[in-house]
This record gives sequence, structure tokens and C-alpha cells, in this order.
Amino acid sequence: MGELGVNHFLFLSAALFIIGMMGVLVRRNLIIIFMCVELMMNAVNLTLVAFAWESNTMNGQSFALFTIAVAAAEAAVGLAIIMALSRRQSTIDADEIRSLRD
Amino acid sequence: MPWDVLVFYLLAAVCVLAAGGVVVATNPVHSAIFLVLCFFNVAAVFVMLGAEFLAAVQIIVYTGAILVLVLFVLMLVDPDDLPEFHAARPVQRAVGVLLGAILLLEVGAAILNRTVVGQQGNATPANVAAVGGNVQALGRNLYTQYLLPFEIVSLVLLVGVVGAIVLALPERLGERVGQRRATISLGHPRGTDVAALPPGLDGPDGETPVRVASGDRPVATGSGRREATSELEATRELIMVRDADERTVVGGGRDSGRS
Repeated sequence: MGELGVNHFLFLSAALFIIGMMGVLVRRNLIIIFMCVELMMNAVNLTLVAFAWESNTMNGQSFALFTIAVAAAEAAVGLAIIMALSRRQSTIDADEIRSLRD
Repeated sequence: MPWDVLVFYLLAAVCVLAAGGVVVATNPVHSAIFLVLCFFNVAAVFVMLGAEFLAAVQIIVYTGAILVLVLFVLMLVDPDDLPEFHAARPVQRAVGVLLGAILLLEVGAAILNRTVVGQQGNATPANVAAVGGNVQALGRNLYTQYLLPFEIVSLVLLVGVVGAIVLALPERLGERVGQRRATISLGHPRGTDVAALPPGLDGPDGETPVRVASGDRPVATGSGRREATSELEATRELIMVRDADERTVVGGGRDSGRS
């Protein structure tokens, strides 16, 4: 409870990651699953920045920046896939999608 | 209790509650709003960790770009396409919660029993302040040590943009582009003939006029494309149409089949 250590941030990160993982496992709406994946990525970023803060280095922050950039590309492609699914198979239910073609 | 610890607990509590809200909210728009709240709190935690630039990037990229994209897609997706039931089947849900709890215990144990300590770098708060701040220090790191990955990330973003456009392209447009080459009908009796069109009008939009040799006298039209190649006197423009009956010109007017 006393001083703010890296463990505080690691526990917050773990909590966020696991909430995101539960969302991926439990929800069926693909958009919600996508948002939960973003949440997990954010938790990983938090871990990187926390370790960088602990060990006085900039590399962790650079990695987190790369993660954010890749997450942006992933968001564009993932949401485009969701839109294509909605248009072609007219469902974005993760349980209903089972074929790669129309 | 020091102030920073208090602030951290406040941020963490809101963050975890908002993350839980993302998972349990039945309306996807509410999930997105909860996610914005969660990301803002994570950005505040980044500030506490001395990563001001990342906090700004977090807000700009995640809440400014990605979440807006998510909301756009939510609005574009047909509401009938959304799953009828929000959560998975009970067994699946129980397994998911159980796995989450197990993973939380494992990760908690790993964090508490951690003995490995990273090698100390030279980016101490004093050094970071000496180069001008977090942005300058991060920029130096990024543009010296990670220059190649930085360039590769720009390539990844480019490919992502192209892929997103290809995937999200309306199916109708792709169909039109693909079929125009496949079915060409030339000289349909009632087909589109540029010569029959009144001056100033070209063929139907998006069609490709071709010139075929014929013995007829050329008929003057007001088409700019025709005047540019006026030396081809004995040619006549024909229009390639996908379906001859679809874009028929009757009486010199333009067909209304194309809306």
C-alpha cells in the first residue's frame, strides 16, 4: 500500500487483459470481440510501459508505440472484414460464421 | 497514503469497471463508450508512468481513430446481423469465466514471485529531462535504435489501408469492374451508339468507347473524345455495354435504366 511500485501497474494490466480475454471467450458479437482484443492490446502496452518505467529505459515505450501502430492497421483490416461479413453472410455472430465463401 | 497511490487506485478502479462494462453491456454502442472511458484512464496511467507522448498517442489513435471506426462500423452493420443472444451458451460462458479466473491466479502468482529485474537503462527522469522531455527522448530512441522497425511499421500501415479498402469495397463496384471485360456486346440493334446520341453526350457513364472500322460516313458528334482523334475519319464509335438491353438508347435520349 505504501509506495507505488511496478506491481501495481502489472496487476492493473493483468486485470485488463483477463477482462478482455473473458470478453473474447464469452461474447458472440464480432465487434465486441474486436473491442476486447483492443483492450488486451492496451493491457500489453501498459505492461511494456510499466517495465520501461521500472528499468529506466525508453525501449518499452518504443515497443508500445509500435504496438499502437500495428493495432491501428489491425483495426482497419478487422473492421473491414466485419463489414464484408455483414454484407456477404449477413451475420456478425461468431457462432454463425463457419464458411470462408458465400 | 501518498497522493499518487490514491490517484492510481482511482484510475485503476474506473479502468477495470469500464473494462467490465465493455464485456457485459448488451448494447454495442455502450461497449464502445465504456472502452473510450477505459482508454482515457489507461492514458492517465501512462502519464503517471512518465510516458506523456504515449498518453497523447493513446488518446489520438485509440479513442480518436479506432473507436470512431468501431462506431462507424456499428452504424453501418445491419442491426439484423447482430447476434440474437448477447453472450455465448451457458457452458461456454462458464468455461470462459473459469479460464479467466485461472489465468488471473497464474499471472498474479507470476507477478508476486517475480525475481528477474531488468537491466537498468540510462533514461532516468533526470536524463530524460536533460534531453528536453519524454517526446525528445522517445524520438531519439525511435530514430536511432529502431529506425528500421519504424519504417517497416509505415509499410504495415500502408498495406493495412490497402487491405481495408479492398475488403470494404462494395461488392457492386467490384462486380462491375470485373464483368465489363467479360461481356461485350457490340452493335446491338438497339444498343448504345454514340452516333445516335445528341451532341454533348457521351456514352453511358463508365463505358469504354471503342473504334471499329466501318464503311459508313462518320457522323459528327460533340464528344470531345471524338474531336481529339478526328483524323480517324472512317471510324464509328461503339460502346461496350454489359447488357445490351440494360442501357438502350431509344430515340436519341439516354436510357433511364441507369440510375
